Amino acid sequence: MGTEVFLPQSLPEFWDVHGSHPDAAIYHGGTDVLVRLKETGRTPPAYICLERIPELQAVQDCGETLFVGAGLTHAQILIEPNIATHWPLLPRAVAVLGSPPIRHTGTLGGNLGTASPAGDTLPPLYCLQAEVHVVSASGRRSLDIRDFILGPGHTALQPGELILGVQAPKAGDWGIPHFEKVGSRQAMTCSLASLAALIKIAPGGCIQDIRLAWGSLGPTVICSKAIHRKALGKPLNIQTLNSLADLIQEKISPIDDQRASIHYRRQLAQNLMLRLVSDY
Amino acid sequence: MGQIPRTSPIGTDATRPDAWTKVSGRETYAADFYAPNMVWAGLKRASVPCARITSLDTSRARQLSGVLAVLTAEDVPGSNATGLIHKDQPILVQDIIRRQGDPVALVVAETRKALDQALESIDLELEELPGVYDPQAALADGAPLVHAHAADNVIAEITARKGDGAQDFDRYPLCIEHTVTLPRQEHAFLETEAGWARQEADGRITLTVSTQSPHRDRLELSEALEIDFQDLRIAAPFLGGGFGGKDGLNVHPYLVLAARQADGRPVKMHWPRSESFLAGTKRMPGTLTYRLGAEEDGRLAALDCRIVLDGGAYSHLNGEVLSMCVEHAGGPYRIPHVHIHGRCVYTNNPPGGPFRGFGVPQAAAGMERCMDILAKRLDMDPLHLRRINVLHKGEKAPLGNTVNHSVGIDVCLDRTADHPLWRERNTWREQAGRFKRRGVGLSCVWHGMGYGPKVADYATAKIELTEQGAFLVDVGVTDMGQGNAGTYAQIAAEILNQDPGSMQLVLPDTDLTPPCCSSAASRTTYTYGRALIEAARAMHKRLREKAAVMSLGSRPEDFVLIPGGIRHLRTDRQMSLSALSRKLNPAERISHSHWQAPQPPDVLDLETKNALGLPHCVFSHAVHVAFLEVDELTGQVRVLDYLAVTEAGRIINPQLFHQQIQGGVAQGLGYALFEDYEVQNGRTRCPGFGAYVLPMSLDVPDICSQAVQIHEESGPFGMKGVGEIPVDAVLPAVANALADACGIRPDRPPFTPERVLGALKSSTTKDESA
Repeated sequence: MGTEVFLPQSLPEFWDVHGSHPDAAIYHGGTDVLVRLKETGRTPPAYICLERIPELQAVQDCGETLFVGAGLTHAQILIEPNIATHWPLLPRAVAVLGSPPIRHTGTLGGNLGTASPAGDTLPPLYCLQAEVHVVSASGRRSLDIRDFILGPGHTALQPGELILGVQAPKAGDWGIPHFEKVGSRQAMTCSLASLAALIKIAPGGCIQDIRLAWGSLGPTVICSKAIHRKALGKPLNIQTLNSLADLIQEKISPIDDQRASIHYRRQLAQNLMLRLVSDY
Repeated sequence: MGQIPRTSPIGTDATRPDAWTKVSGRETYAADFYAPNMVWAGLKRASVPCARITSLDTSRARQLSGVLAVLTAEDVPGSNATGLIHKDQPILVQDIIRRQGDPVALVVAETRKALDQALESIDLELEELPGVYDPQAALADGAPLVHAHAADNVIAEITARKGDGAQDFDRYPLCIEHTVTLPRQEHAFLETEAGWARQEADGRITLTVSTQSPHRDRLELSEALEIDFQDLRIAAPFLGGGFGGKDGLNVHPYLVLAARQADGRPVKMHWPRSESFLAGTKRMPGTLTYRLGAEEDGRLAALDCRIVLDGGAYSHLNGEVLSMCVEHAGGPYRIPHVHIHGRCVYTNNPPGGPFRGFGVPQAAAGMERCMDILAKRLDMDPLHLRRINVLHKGEKAPLGNTVNHSVGIDVCLDRTADHPLWRERNTWREQAGRFKRRGVGLSCVWHGMGYGPKVADYATAKIELTEQGAFLVDVGVTDMGQGNAGTYAQIAAEILNQDPGSMQLVLPDTDLTPPCCSSAASRTTYTYGRALIEAARAMHKRLREKAAVMSLGSRPEDFVLIPGGIRHLRTDRQMSLSALSRKLNPAERISHSHWQAPQPPDVLDLETKNALGLPHCVFSHAVHVAFLEVDELTGQVRVLDYLAVTEAGRIINPQLFHQQIQGGVAQGLGYALFEDYEVQNGRTRCPGFGAYVLPMSLDVPDICSQAVQIHEESGPFGMKGVGEIPVDAVLPAVANALADACGIRPDRPPFTPERVLGALKSSTTKDESA
């Protein structure tokens, strides 16, 4: 007996199929689903593929904010002009995500749903203060990304809900959109630590606004208001960034695994910030 | 009849004949075989590295539908022991598990699914035994024995001495000490171990296997399974990579056993990546401890080197890998006083085996670091230090054998010194950005070709003219991707004055192609090429003689072969090869030639136990320079430029030559910076590519490959082997560049970001002065 595959053409059609096949796996790019399938050896009774649902493909300029559908592949994110203009931080992370084949099939929604601490799109979305929109057969709700992602592989998504997309204020006027990821090679690598940053520099050269978000250094992305407050009003230099070190070490809780030790990850958390001085 | 080729095929770029079939996916590898009535074979493997089998119950598996047979050690005829030098590896384990993944049962089933179910239904109970997982611990008194026959766990041991045996280092003004610990490297070929077999109606078993050594495999199989040699036939199509990992048996004995249970149906075995990672052989890890004494002017005086390699649970060719490591431990240098002691040790770790380089990458990792440390101590240009020490023809190598074939290492150094990348290195180094440090590292290696003494290194070439007038050229030695098949076509075409593209290649098949040694040891084209030249010349001579016989009053020298035909010079009359061929009887249409590679005449001061194959007499040479940048914030290393200058005699096909260099350097960068097949207490930590980091395109820089062509009189058209030397030099070049960039002591590859950052932090307090 084979596995059934459904290709709904719209959200209503999706809810129909989903209603009759509640145990089906939701499939978009497959970059996580197929890996899990191989790891567990468990084949779901059916797949419901999202790739033909137009609602998930939307990119909407909403005035102060931008909405990007969960179904955009990473490759689409890289060439979408609205994203380049309003969220220039996001493509910087997506550019170093996986490899061209992975970027052509993996999606933004998949990165959110998998909720890996190493998800490359997540630190930028935290910096952008994104809201995650989810839909179900009965309605739609939105959550702050910090409330959506609860832990490794764990989100606030309820059974019967689907990630529709993310919405966040436009951030094209932040002078410094920065992303760096450290992996064990240049591409096709899981991040050992990453740092996303949005910084506004005041005319006098001091930090007017700052948002920093670290990936792979805790169960979820690390983003601390205390760190931001401490940096505000200070010049962007090594002294300022070093003064944040203790706070950073307090906030992060990296793991020890085959890829890297806790010690190395703690060093990276601090060192990655210093790049802001050399690159900008 | 075709046009006369515009250029001689020898020495010119030629696209390999397998290029299009491979890039378009049409080439049929052993793993690609499928047939409607095909059945599958698979192995039940032990999950622990050291244990006694207390119970093995296959009754549940046998009863499953779709299962044709379940075999255990009791069902294996003959000795149930394989191995090339020592027969220490059971086909199916009877009692003692010696490494994780040891096979205990073979299942033959109708489908892959039935196979998997049957393998899961085999009940294996094991009583874990104390194992030994560290080669030093294996050498200690009272260590558990991996094999009863090796009372000290030593697979092979070599002591080599020259001069005073490097007894007294106090005599020398300079003494360098250095220890390097090397990782285990996975072959990671695209096509994992695979093959298929069938028992024919006459009882013979034919196998098609992804193997580097079909002829030797046939002999080993017939001995191990007590099958008449004539009842086995092995064909080796193009391989999807080998690198030494397919130099010996893998799926073969199981295919033979399974074919006998399949009632004439084809049986396939194809290890998935996880099984290849678990059960395939690896480049041996080890520790090399060096002391190098030198005079104040930089001349090397004495070398003391201690080598311990972890051979894992089975000996395979590990003693021979040790031999190469010992022979190359002193590099291509004049060293009057030498003592080298090497041991290769049994442990309950994954078995080691041949891997491109065959012990030389390990040796070069140690020696070339010592040379750089010495250069720094002397405040001497590292290239100059090599120049004053390298061997010239007629001088004695570190083991004492006289170098009496072509030597191009000094020319490689000259070429490197003149290269813009080297000349402008100081400017380049200073252009590092903020939080970056740049370094330039050089290494200098040689690589002995062939099997060395005692093991005959031979090839038998065959060319046949078909009745239709086409030349069939036997590819007697497996083409595992290096492109020797196309080179053979070039060689035969050159001598027979034909278009290389018109040569029809016959891939290795023990029924069709005469015996040859394996595709290995940088000898694939060197040895076979010589045999092939003779076979082609004999064919050429015969065709002219036959033409003369058929033409009244003519002599053989009145005829010249032209593409597709033969021409009578005085009359300009032509005859097509098919017309000529039809005048020959079948025996006349075939020419054979046998050639055996030279062996060195020297008698050396060597004590060996279970070790063969040293010294060599024909060597290729190379100088590599790595240009890299270290990130001070993350420890990440990026190799930005790479120069590889290689002397491997004359070049038959420059395109293939440079492909070997490119591939070898990429593989060497993996060894230096990324790859580490980690094992913990005999258990793998690398079930697949997720946990094993291979370099990818962005990690490999543009590689500038330069060839120094020096004629090697023993080689076909003056060539020498180039398959292995590019991988030998990379790790030390990278290590030396790292030391140059940031003063760290890189002694534990791979140089991962974490290790480099750790070393950077500690180097702020400790200076690299050695």
